[in-house]
Amino acid sequence: MSALLEVSGVSVSFDGFRAINNLSFNIGERELRAVIGPNGAGKTTFMDIVTGKTRPDKGQVLWGETSKSLLKMTESQIARTGVGRKFQRPTVFEDQTVEDNLVMALKANRNPFAVLAWRPAPVTGARVIELAAEVGLSDHIHRQAGQLSHGQKQWLEIGMLLAQEPRLLLVDEPAAGMTLAERELTTALLVRLAQTRAVVVVEHDMDFVRRLNCKVTVLHQGSVLAEGSLDHVTRNPDVIEVYLGR
Amino acid sequence: MTRTPFILRNKSVLPVLAVLAVFTLAVTFLSHAYGNGAIPTSMVKVLGKTLCLALAAVAMDLVWGYLGILSLGQMAFFALGGYMIGQWLMYARTEDIVAASLAQNPIPPTPLELQQATANQIFGVVGSADLPTTWAFAHSLPLQLMLVVAVPGLLALVFGWLAFRSRVNGVYLSILTQAMTLALALWLFQNDSGFRGNNGLSGLQNLPGLEGVGQAKVSVWFLWASAVALGLCYVLAAWIVSGKFGSVIRAIRDDETRVRFLGYPVEGFKLVVFTLAAMITAIAGALYYPQAGIINPAEMMPIASIYLAVWVAIGGRGRLYGAIIGAVVVSLLSSWFTGGRAPDIALPGYVIKWVDWWQVALGLSFVLVTLFAPKGIAGIFDLMPRRKDKA
Repeated sequence: MSALLEVSGVSVSFDGFRAINNLSFNIGERELRAVIGPNGAGKTTFMDIVTGKTRPDKGQVLWGETSKSLLKMTESQIARTGVGRKFQRPTVFEDQTVEDNLVMALKANRNPFAVLAWRPAPVTGARVIELAAEVGLSDHIHRQAGQLSHGQKQWLEIGMLLAQEPRLLLVDEPAAGMTLAERELTTALLVRLAQTRAVVVVEHDMDFVRRLNCKVTVLHQGSVLAEGSLDHVTRNPDVIEVYLGR
Repeated sequence: MTRTPFILRNKSVLPVLAVLAVFTLAVTFLSHAYGNGAIPTSMVKVLGKTLCLALAAVAMDLVWGYLGILSLGQMAFFALGGYMIGQWLMYARTEDIVAASLAQNPIPPTPLELQQATANQIFGVVGSADLPTTWAFAHSLPLQLMLVVAVPGLLALVFGWLAFRSRVNGVYLSILTQAMTLALALWLFQNDSGFRGNNGLSGLQNLPGLEGVGQAKVSVWFLWASAVALGLCYVLAAWIVSGKFGSVIRAIRDDETRVRFLGYPVEGFKLVVFTLAAMITAIAGALYYPQAGIINPAEMMPIASIYLAVWVAIGGRGRLYGAIIGAVVVSLLSSWFTGGRAPDIALPGYVIKWVDWWQVALGLSFVLVTLFAPKGIAGIFDLMPRRKDKA
């Protein structure tokens, strides 16, 4: 499987603290991957680097068939290239409707003047309805996003990511604050999404990761400690010591 | 997806245009020149100027209420617009006067002599007799009209590009905009800035070639021009904020990082809105100063821009008609209270003179509105019972 995203030898420090230390990480097309690790292992910093929020001190981040470097691109350029990111806290635009939120996220020309001239195409409405149905918000299309429950906001944000049609989806702790039923739905959705694109899930919750049933990467102190199936990594003595043993 | 036309989607457009039309017609029919004379010419000018301030407030609302940038330098663009039109007004009129006086000479003046005499007349007051390069286009109305939008637009573009790409945000950006207008004012205060220093430009109420018409008529013309500009720019602003573009800029106001991760070039959007608002503000200024008659660098001091922000806050930011209400109500009240006609309040032992106390009252009401009525005066419209439109 050729790599969609190739992170090699990346390091970054904040005020002398090595948040990421010579990290290498690959993910292939249409792969589902869970990233786990204790607090401060560098999970979120890793996402920040891939999405362009943080510039690494050294190393490479290459993307796609042409191995294009993501390091010289801005956050919005990276997003347009096909990297979608879901934040830990649901961030939707609360004083706008579910429809507005989804329309904004739909894949389209993002140039300010193109947006100014934007008119809904005949398919736009159908696409919004389809997306809302996929994330269970069919009955809430015209509601303000701020009126949705916490779980529904998480879903809306996932819907917005789908609307972006990314080739790689980075998901930061999707299960946080969800009820058990919502978690199960989320698991099913992530597995389904990974059939058409690459998905990286950062998660604390072991049961959640187990249900994803995919390859797991364990981060510790900014580098990869172990990689493999969940059973494989949980048997690794290093992993037991730094993470599970505590 | 079916969409209603934006005029209907944006429920405030038609009422605002209707009120504006009724107001302008009413003032016209009560004016000296075209009506029964119930409203004196000076009052027509005050009302016309108020419409220009309302237009500046609409632009401020775009930048602050919708995009979330508290710009405290908007009046720099307003005054620049005034300076650009003032250059032509002053030059063309002085040239007429100089030409008339030189016509007495036995030998008619050459164009160069005429230009030098005009420059001497304009710049004698700051001890100079040469026409500065900044006045190169002052002889031409079309060119100066172009500069009215080009100069403030370019300033906003360059300033915005530098500030936005460095990701300066929040209060730091506000301070930066304030520094911009202060620096510009201090530069213009200098005698050798080429804009007559603290004398500013004067006699702007006299339109060259139209001296015979009289201020009574001219004041009504400017009232109409201001009303048309306000109406057109209101429709433009309403169109901008109602579509997907409006959705994106409000999203930038609420969480710009998230908008970046949606793939939108945030800086580009900020630049478009900031520059457009600067141009609208400059048009407002270019209509305002011929009615005021005089412009000087004090108009650009930060306090003017802070007042603009206060008007928009009191009127209700984040909705365009709120900006108009705030600018009209507060600026008219200001001129009433500071004009010495408001009755003083005699307390035992102290007399509250409104000329002194108006500023305090304004400051207090700003604090109260911010604390207790963040939607401003326009929030009243939310309290009115309205039809539930089921979507």
